[in-house]
Amino acid sequence: MLARAHAFTIEHLHTRHVTVEVDVRAGLPAFTIVGLADTAVREARERIRAAILNSGYEFPARRITANLAPGDVRKAGAGLDLALACAVLAASGQLPREELERVALFGELGLDGSVRPVHGALAVAHAARRAGMRALALAPACAREAMLIDGLDVPAVEHLRSTARVLNGGRGDALHAPAAGARRKSPAIDAQTDSMDRGDLGDVHGQHHAVKAMVIAAAGAHNVLLSGAPGTGKTMLARRIASILPPLSHAEAVEVTRIHSLSGVRVDALAMRCPFRAPHHSITAAGLVGGATRGSIGEVVLAHNGVLFLDELSEFSRSTLEALRQPLEDGRVAIARAHHSALYPTRFMLVAATNPCPCGFASEGDRCGCSEAELARHRRRLSGPMLDRIDLATALHLEVRDRPARALTTSAQAREQVARARELQAARLAPDGVTVNARMDGRMLSRHVKLDARSERMLHDARAAGLLSARGEHRVLRVARTIADLDATARVRACDLGAALALRPDASVAGNRAA
Amino acid sequence: MSPPAATATPAGACGRCLRRAWLLSSLSGPMECCARDRARLLELLALPDEQLLEALAGRRKPELRARYETFRAEELADDARLQSICRHRRGYPRALDDPAAPPMLHVEGGTARLSALAAAPVVTILGSSNASDYGIQMARSLARGLAASGVTVAASLTDGIAVAAHAGALDAGGRSIAVLGGGLRVSCSSRRRALYERLTRTGCAVSELPPDCPGRRWGLLASERILAELPRVAVAVEADAGPGGLAAARHAQALGRTVAAIPGRVTSPLSRGTNELLMTGASLVRGARDVLDLLYAADATRARKHAAAAVGAAPQNDLPPDLRAVLERVGAGCDTPDGLTRAGIELSAALLALSELELRGLLVRGDGGRYLPVNPL
Repeated sequence: MLARAHAFTIEHLHTRHVTVEVDVRAGLPAFTIVGLADTAVREARERIRAAILNSGYEFPARRITANLAPGDVRKAGAGLDLALACAVLAASGQLPREELERVALFGELGLDGSVRPVHGALAVAHAARRAGMRALALAPACAREAMLIDGLDVPAVEHLRSTARVLNGGRGDALHAPAAGARRKSPAIDAQTDSMDRGDLGDVHGQHHAVKAMVIAAAGAHNVLLSGAPGTGKTMLARRIASILPPLSHAEAVEVTRIHSLSGVRVDALAMRCPFRAPHHSITAAGLVGGATRGSIGEVVLAHNGVLFLDELSEFSRSTLEALRQPLEDGRVAIARAHHSALYPTRFMLVAATNPCPCGFASEGDRCGCSEAELARHRRRLSGPMLDRIDLATALHLEVRDRPARALTTSAQAREQVARARELQAARLAPDGVTVNARMDGRMLSRHVKLDARSERMLHDARAAGLLSARGEHRVLRVARTIADLDATARVRACDLGAALALRPDASVAGNRAA
Repeated sequence: MSPPAATATPAGACGRCLRRAWLLSSLSGPMECCARDRARLLELLALPDEQLLEALAGRRKPELRARYETFRAEELADDARLQSICRHRRGYPRALDDPAAPPMLHVEGGTARLSALAAAPVVTILGSSNASDYGIQMARSLARGLAASGVTVAASLTDGIAVAAHAGALDAGGRSIAVLGGGLRVSCSSRRRALYERLTRTGCAVSELPPDCPGRRWGLLASERILAELPRVAVAVEADAGPGGLAAARHAQALGRTVAAIPGRVTSPLSRGTNELLMTGASLVRGARDVLDLLYAADATRARKHAAAAVGAAPQNDLPPDLRAVLERVGAGCDTPDGLTRAGIELSAALLALSELELRGLLVRGDGGRYLPVNPL
């Protein structure tokens, strides 16, 4: 007799629907699994046999063939155990076969028949709904995660016997209590973000220029570079950027939570705030973009829809920075290794901080003791691929404390400004399929960025003076548009363009030193 | 022994002067050890060939003497791009006729061009390699102004001030002379190669050592003689008080050349040398115009004509008052957007003004994001 069950296997960030077919017929007792199964799946035979027997069912002493379709997809992990066991039971007439077609199953089995949690529940639930399943049965520990997806019934099953009860039309088991009360946010992701951005822009006294630059960057999702002597507050400022970014939309939140769920973090609510990742500068290229081991997820992917903060940018190895090119440019990264290749989304905002020179005091007049050769080396590190993808740069200087400096703005005020500017951008850019100014390409720029007469003349002068390359001009126009959006003006005025020019990245880091 | 050159004898310098250059490069190692200080180096360089061999050759004396006696000019490696000239030929810069000056020069860019460049008024720009943005900017705008008025700029090819001077001269489409402390073929760092190529297209690079002699410390010190002898006016832009910092300027002073300096902050260690020079009698200059005044002091009309040609002399006069106010504040030390807001200018107005001034070429943004005025007030 033939029974069919539905399960999922996770391949990088993609969840593949797997149909488990089990055929039980007369013959020498045997249990074979075919369909490109990896070791964990082939070992399932022993777990399934023990679980079925220990749950009080009968393991058919006949010839059992299990097929995992589609046959060309590699199936990994123990998440298929539950579906295999239920299909064996249905094929031997111990469970109803029809219900098995409509309830997806995802879980690892213990030898006693208990169902164990497997990570990636959110992604699986997402896929199950798309595959048109009525319900998804999971271990109670990860059922809460799957419930974040609307429109899907998620019965928790503690044991193979409770699975049978669910398939017979019964109710699921009780859920485990959530980890920390009923907080509507995901502890694991937001906790990292929290520890990073606990703080308010109101704590930053002085440095108005840099604070303004950060607000502009947040408003248009522009990549930004902060440079300045040690102690000027680069890191302090960068860590506060998450506090002024708008909250994630529902679709973004699902995307972010799905990625984190697949990276092995247990989630029990959707991420509400954008992720903030701050890898140490010793990170390798593989650590940054992923692909170190099969399915390992890089920092750029974890920062998707959020912020990637690279402190001490010049200390990162050259190959690591080079690896950032594609993710920054295309908003996705394609990883190809010997046995697998994968495509990950990486739309993040880059915030980088660096010293202006090896000793750190080049921006403080005569205090810098670096030789021209050291400066050249430092500049070479920063220039090129990275700098090309940074829209705005700002220099921080040691504050002259002749009178107490006040803060330019608080996070709450800035957040409001940013949210308003983002609304304007989204409305304007909706037909082009992007939401923020930073993603405007040349064509969109010519359509959406209208300059007034005076700023038109300024732009012309800047071109004539050789201050702007073609790419540099695009960057300046994008930033100018954002500054105008913050003031809600339809045309880009001279003061917007002037500020954008003053914030353009090339000279302050790439250097204006002789020759 | 090096193989005889494939082509004919390098024209230009006479055999004795070439032999002298060969001898210096052969004794380069011992020279580096013996010439611990400037005075001793100058003493050694003033010795005639025989005594120099005696003083420095040590155990290699018999071998070097034999080679010295049989020396033929063909032994020196030949390079089509390089020429040489010595004081026994026509066209050798008149200023180097002094016995303490090197007797011959290897030249890239052509000896005829060198003669022409040296015949125009020459101004040497001196300064240390570790320079501030201010120093770099001043050197550059000074050289730009001078070159635009037809003055030949001479400087070494070390980092900092010297390189900025050459870059400034090239900016104005002018011509400059680079004085190297080692062989022309080997002593230009790869970092400076591009500038060197550009420079020798219109100007010259000179060295008193053979083309393949690697650069050493003493060679750099020796090249300062050329920088001191060659010009009518030597301008120190920014130098610290270290012993080597302004040796060339002192040397020029001793030779009776006009020495001038651009003042720096009295609190900055990088300006200590130039400020000291001013204390001890150098003329204070603020820019190209002042240097032209020094050059043509006797001839007021020529001075005026040249000053008018100097780049960046006029455009500040027709500035709108708000831009002028910002430019003056930047010059007075409020050189960051935040500095300007502290001085009472609103942030977005400050950013706009800074960009406008940058577009007009009156300000540049330095390495650390501080703005610098291009021209002296």
